[in-house]
Amino acid sequence: MKEASEPHFTLSLGHLYPDQLNLYGDRGNILTLRRRCELRGIELRVVGLGIGDALAPDEYDMLFIGGGQDKEQAPVAQDLYEIKGIGLWAAIEDDMPVLAVCGGYQLLAHYYRPANGPDMRGLGVFDAWTIHKGAHVPRCIGDVAISWNGSTLVGFENHGGRTYLGTAKPLGKVLKGYGNNAEDHTEGAVYRNAYGTYMHGSLLPKNPHFADFLIALALKRSYGRTNRAAENLVQPMDQNNGSTPTAQHTKASKWPSKSRSRSQQGIEDDPVKFLTPLDDTLEWEAHAALLERMGLYTAAADALRRSIEAGTVLHLHEISAARE
Amino acid sequence: MSKQKSSRPTKGDVRNRRKHRDTDTTKPVADLQDSDSQHFKQRRRSSLRAGLAVMGGRAAGALSRRLHLGGGTSIAGLVAQSVYPGIVGHLSKQLAHGSILVTGTNGKTTTSGLIAAILSDAGFRVWRNREGSNLMRGVAGALVIRAQPNGHLRRSGQAISIFEVDEAVMSQAVRTIPPRVAVFTNLFRDQLDRYGEVDSVSARWRYAVSLLPDTTTLILNADDPSTAQLGELFSGKVMYYGIDDPSLDFAAQQGPAAERHQAIDTRTCPFCGGEYIYTLQYYSHLGHYRCSKCLRTRPEADVRAVKVSTDGIDRLRMQVETATQQEEIVIPLAGFYNVYNALAAIAASLALGIARDPIVSGIEQFKPAFGRGERVQVEGRTLRLLLAKNPTGFNEVLRTLFNNGTFRHLLLVLNDNVADGRDISWIWDVDFERIVQHIATLTVAGTRALDLALRLKYAGIEPQDISIVTSGPLRAAKSIIQSKAHRMRGRGRLATAEAGRGSELIAIGDGLINQVSTKGYGIANALDSAIRRTPADETLFVVPTYTGLLEIHHELERRGLTPHYWEEKGP
Repeated sequence: MKEASEPHFTLSLGHLYPDQLNLYGDRGNILTLRRRCELRGIELRVVGLGIGDALAPDEYDMLFIGGGQDKEQAPVAQDLYEIKGIGLWAAIEDDMPVLAVCGGYQLLAHYYRPANGPDMRGLGVFDAWTIHKGAHVPRCIGDVAISWNGSTLVGFENHGGRTYLGTAKPLGKVLKGYGNNAEDHTEGAVYRNAYGTYMHGSLLPKNPHFADFLIALALKRSYGRTNRAAENLVQPMDQNNGSTPTAQHTKASKWPSKSRSRSQQGIEDDPVKFLTPLDDTLEWEAHAALLERMGLYTAAADALRRSIEAGTVLHLHEISAARE
Repeated sequence: MSKQKSSRPTKGDVRNRRKHRDTDTTKPVADLQDSDSQHFKQRRRSSLRAGLAVMGGRAAGALSRRLHLGGGTSIAGLVAQSVYPGIVGHLSKQLAHGSILVTGTNGKTTTSGLIAAILSDAGFRVWRNREGSNLMRGVAGALVIRAQPNGHLRRSGQAISIFEVDEAVMSQAVRTIPPRVAVFTNLFRDQLDRYGEVDSVSARWRYAVSLLPDTTTLILNADDPSTAQLGELFSGKVMYYGIDDPSLDFAAQQGPAAERHQAIDTRTCPFCGGEYIYTLQYYSHLGHYRCSKCLRTRPEADVRAVKVSTDGIDRLRMQVETATQQEEIVIPLAGFYNVYNALAAIAASLALGIARDPIVSGIEQFKPAFGRGERVQVEGRTLRLLLAKNPTGFNEVLRTLFNNGTFRHLLLVLNDNVADGRDISWIWDVDFERIVQHIATLTVAGTRALDLALRLKYAGIEPQDISIVTSGPLRAAKSIIQSKAHRMRGRGRLATAEAGRGSELIAIGDGLINQVSTKGYGIANALDSAIRRTPADETLFVVPTYTGLLEIHHELERRGLTPHYWEEKGP
C-alpha cells in the first residue's frame, strides 16, 4: 500500500459504526480531517466499519467513533466488545490515534450503567465508568469549553450519563459547561493516543489545532517510524506561507532525525509544528466567538493571539471597530 | 386594563382557596346535598374560574402586545393556565365540531394550514394556534383570546379548532383535548438538546396514542416508520397516507452513492430492533420499507400520491388516489415534503367527511404561512423566506432550490436561541456540498454565523466568497487589532486600500491582513448586505432558523413590508 518511491501520502481512517453512531453532526469531524489532509497533499481514506466488520489494526492509521442513541448503542456495545475489541486494543496499545466522542467515549470506558436495564460493557481502554442516574437528573446540555495542552477546546455537550474517572487522565479541565460529570471539572479521558470526549459541535472544525494534532500523530506513527522521508509534508514554519505544498521527491533519510536537523524541536515534542499551517482564520474566529458567547473573553483573546502568532490567522472578517 | 391587572393577586388567592375546598371539603358536603346540585355547583365554580382565567390571560396578552413584546397569544395562554389549569379542556369542550391535533417534526404548520383552508372552504369557522407557539400555552392562548369573560367561547356554533402541537407535549394535549382527528406527520431529529433523542419522542407518542379515545381517527404517514408504527397500538380508526411513485426514489435520482450522505433518523424497527430495508427511499428514512427481522412492512396507504411532478419552482402537481376517487391536484407550494403535507390534509378532511370540492379548492388556493415560501418585494428584488430548522428540513429546502442547477442568491441565518435549539451541530449533517457549484451570492448571519460559514468552507466554498454578518463584534479580535494597529501606526506602516464594496483591507506589517467589515452587525445589516449583493429583479432566498425567521419578519415589518403576523386574517 505504501510504496517507498511514491511521494504521495495516504492515511486510512477507520470510522466505526457510521450508521449507528451518527448523532449530533459528528460527520463534521470526518469532513474536517479529510479536508485538512487534502490541503496538505495527504489522501485520507475513510473506511466505514459497521456491525459485524472485523477491525484489523494494520489497515488503519487512525480511528473515529461517534455517539448514538441508547437503543442503537446496545448492539454496538456488543459488537465492539466481541468483534472489534481485540483489534481496537492492539491498535491503541500500538499508539494509534483514536477519537471517541460521546457514546463512543462511554463504550471505551469500563461500562455504561443506564437508568434502567442491564449495564453495557465497554472495552475498558479508559479507566472510567458512566452512570445514568435516571430521568429526574437533568442531562448535561450546553456549550462547553475546556483547557487543553496550553490552549482551549470548544464544543457542545449533550449527555445523560455521568462519567467518573479512575486512574484515567482527563482530556482537559472544564472552563465552562459540565464535562464528564458536572462535579469534578474534568472533561474527557486520554489513554496513550486515544482521546475520549463528550464534545460535539462538531468538535474538530472549530478546534483545528486538535484536528492537526491527531493528523500529526497519525503521520508520525505511520510514516515517522518506517524510516520514510516525509519532509515534503511537514515543513518548518518560516518557509511556509500557508499554501498547499507541492509534492517533492522524498529523500532517503530517517525522518525524525532529519526533522530535528531542520528545527530545534523534535517531532516528539510537538508534532503539529511540522504540519503545513493552513489559513484557519474562520476556524479561530468561530472558536473565539464561542468562547466569548460563554463569557470567556480572556481565553478568546488568548486563542486568537496564539493563532495569529502561529500564522494560521491571516485576515479577520469582521473587525469594523478596529478603525475607530 | 388596570382594573384587571390589580385584580390579579386576588385571583391567585381565589384559586388557592378553591383548590382547598375542592379537595378537602367535597365529601362532607356530598353527604348533605344531592349529587345534582353538587354537579351544578362544580360547573358554576369551574365556569367562574374559567372566566377569571380568560380575563387574566387576555389582559396579559393585551399588555404584551401594547409593550411590543410579541403577539401576546402565548402569554395569554400562560397566564390563563396558571389561573385555571383546566382552561383548555373547559373551552375546547364548547367547540361544536371538536378539535384536530397535528404533530410531527416537520410540516405541522403547513399541514394544519391546509386543513384550515379546506375546512373553511367547507363552511366551518376554523380556529388555530396559528402564531406558531405550539406548546400547551399557545393552544390555551388561541382559545382564551376567543373566549368571553364568562368563560364561554364566542360564536362556537360552527367552530372547529386545529391545533398544531409540539411533538413533546402531544400526550398532554391529547389528555386535555380529546381530538376528533389526530395527525402525526413525521419524526426527524430536531432540537436534540430539548428532547434528548428521537427515541424519547417516539416513546412519548406511543403514550399519547394510548390516551386517545376510540372515537378519534388517527392519520399517519405510512412512509415514515416511526409514525406508521403507531397504528398498531390504536384500536380506533386509522388512515394512512403515503407516496407510491417509484420515480421519486432518491437512489434512482441521485445515484446510490448519494444515499449515504443523508441524515437518516430512524433505522431500526421499534418492535424488534431489526434494521429497515428500503425498496423505495424518498428522503431521509421516508419511503417503502420493511423490517429485516420481524418482516413488518409499510402499511398500505389509504390516501396516496401516485404521480408527483414539479410545476415550475413554485408548485407541485400530484395525482391522488383513494379507494373511491382519483384527482389531480396542484399544490401552490415548493418542496417535495409538501406532498406529504397535502396528503395529510386530504386524509384528515376525508376523516371528517368533507366533500371533494372544498378539498381541491382549499389546497389549490392555499397561501403559505410565514417562513414557508412567501414572497416579499424589497427594493426591486424578490425575497422568499424558507424556514429550515433541522437537517432534513434544510436538505429539502436546498433540494427544492437547487434541483435544476440554477444559480441562487442566498441569505442563511443560523441562530442558537432556545427556540431554535442551542445545539447547532446538525449543520454538519446538511448537504451543503451539493450547492457549492450553484451559488451566485452567499451571505450568512445569525448568532452562529461563523459556525455556518465554517461548515460552508468545509463544503468547499471559499471563505472570501461568503459575506459574514455576525450578530456582534468579536471583542478578542478588536483588542488584538487595536494593539497591533497602534504599534504599526507608530512606525508608519499602516496601509489602507479599498477592496470591493462593503469591505476594506488593512495590511499591517508582518503579513497580517485584516479585512475590515463595513457591513456592521445584526440581522438588519445582513438583510441589507444580502439585498445589495442580489441584482435588481432577481430573487434572494432567505433560509433562517426559527428565531432568525422571527427577526427577519420583525425587520421587514419595521420597514412596512409585511403585516404583523398576529393581525393576519384567517383564511
